[in-house]
Amino acid sequence: MNALILSAIFGVILMFSGILLKQKAVIRNIAIAGIVLLLAVNILEMCGTVLFHVNTHGMIVFDRFALLFNTIAFVATFIYLILSARDMEKVGVNYAEYFALIFFILCGITLTSSFKSLLILFLGIEIISIPLYILTGSDKRNLKSNEASLKYFLLGAFSTGLMLMGIALIYGARGTFDTLSINMLTEGKPSLLIIAGMLLLLFSMSFKVSAAPFHFWTPDVYDGAPTVFTSFMATIVKAAVFIAFIRLFDDAFGVLQSQWQLFVAIIIVATLFIGNITAVFQQSVKRMLAYSSIAQAGFMMMAVFAMNTDAKEGLLLYAVAYCFATIGIFAVLIKMKDYTFDGFNGFAKQQPILAATTTIFLLSLAGIPLTAGFLSKFYMLKAVMITGQNLWLVIFAILMAAISVYYYFRVIQAMYFKTGDTQVVEVSSTFKWILVILSAVIILLGIYPDIVLNWLYF
Amino acid sequence: MGITQILFWFLSIAAIFSALMVISSKNPVHSVLWLIVTFFSISGHYIVLNAQFLAIVNVIVYAGAIMVLFLFVIMLMNLNKESEPQKHKWLRIAGAVAGGCLLLVFVAALKDTDIKHQQALVNTGNIGLIKNLGKELFTTYVVPFEISSILFLSAMVGAVVIGKKE
Repeated sequence: MNALILSAIFGVILMFSGILLKQKAVIRNIAIAGIVLLLAVNILEMCGTVLFHVNTHGMIVFDRFALLFNTIAFVATFIYLILSARDMEKVGVNYAEYFALIFFILCGITLTSSFKSLLILFLGIEIISIPLYILTGSDKRNLKSNEASLKYFLLGAFSTGLMLMGIALIYGARGTFDTLSINMLTEGKPSLLIIAGMLLLLFSMSFKVSAAPFHFWTPDVYDGAPTVFTSFMATIVKAAVFIAFIRLFDDAFGVLQSQWQLFVAIIIVATLFIGNITAVFQQSVKRMLAYSSIAQAGFMMMAVFAMNTDAKEGLLLYAVAYCFATIGIFAVLIKMKDYTFDGFNGFAKQQPILAATTTIFLLSLAGIPLTAGFLSKFYMLKAVMITGQNLWLVIFAILMAAISVYYYFRVIQAMYFKTGDTQVVEVSSTFKWILVILSAVIILLGIYPDIVLNWLYF
Repeated sequence: MGITQILFWFLSIAAIFSALMVISSKNPVHSVLWLIVTFFSISGHYIVLNAQFLAIVNVIVYAGAIMVLFLFVIMLMNLNKESEPQKHKWLRIAGAVAGGCLLLVFVAALKDTDIKHQQALVNTGNIGLIKNLGKELFTTYVVPFEISSILFLSAMVGAVVIGKKE
């Protein structure tokens, strides 16, 4: 509750700071101070201190899972802001408003991680989506950005319509928005109304996390959006929607698992296949990362498929590993002049530290042991193994992970084994230090994942 | 047959007839005008069901705001006989088949579902009255109601960001 209210307040503060303050550095520092404060009050709430007591009638429940995910999201946003906040200046003139929109998105993230009512789910998803449409189109003079924004808006509005239709059908079947009351056993076959509603929700949530066959917007939007904002929406936002996904299907549709499990399995297979195979053929690193984020979504969907304790722990670890690594790569990518694979030629000679950290991030995304990416993938596969009789899915996922190594290593190959002269914008030494710390954290989590997961229980 | 029943049949026939006119009239402006008639007759249904708030909102939002927007768009596009795009014959058949399939699926899926209240509350229910709605909105649902203000605020900030001259 602390973070929910404070993030909205900070959104408003930053909105006004655009009028009152002229220096961009001051605005940026307010935003960074804001995210630190959000993190602090969220950890306070984990320790049991709730600053605002609001009677939500059971619609929002901040349990450990929600609070831990909020902490992860705030830490990731903090890293994102100190790495890339300066680069937002180049996007357009509305510097303060971009921060305000990011804080509103964080407000939506606290809602999607803690909802117990479909009404809150809808509001949370919308509060996340609408600022994202704007951030996608914020580079107004760039035609690709405009196209991406319009495409994202139209398709996003359509999928929100599907979600509302699903919620309406479920309300018709059960007469309530409360997720726990929806999850009741009924005698005989479950009514068609609730099955139809559940499928519509499944489709719209798959759209929001860009799972195939609902992924068609992703490459264009991630490619067209300004790279600073792609970094934000491909990582933190995607992880948040996954948390909403797993909560929804655990809380509301747990008893119907036999009905939806096959659909989720089909979506996982399609997502892994399309994401990985298409990523192989990309020439631009930014577009490759967009397809790689589809492929990673396939792995995260396995948590929804398995739906047990391991899956939930694994999803949190996956969120950390995926967010940190991808934010790091994007932060480096923003500094590049040329986004193609050839643009990375000879990068290691010029910027040895940046190249080394980027390598660690890429290794983590590929799932090489000793990185957080390996353990998070391991948790996902373990969760599916525990359910029994789904070995084919595990084998298929491992095969696809092997394919993903190819396109991640192409970047490493270009950096270390090819000669060329990379055009890089000047980077400060603080930037390098943060990247080094980030990669150290990724390796640390690859050895001791319990640093994160222990927070779930005590 | 009481007055409610007569009203119901009258409104139903009006709604279906005007809805058919929407899709069959050649002039797009006429289509929009018929759509307004459709919305009004559906609002009439809401009043018969004692849902006054829904009826008023339907008139204000749909028949008012959205229809004006429709008219503007149609007038800006300046549609007439000459500029009408020629649709391929097979495209039309494909469209009809696809739409028919969707209808079939929906009818098949929803024809034998059980709905919580079989009986429509005509003239007696008081759920749809503005007073009760306001009470619910400001007691049970006050948290989502306030949260939606964040949604609108972010949309407004976004509109300024997109619309402002650089």
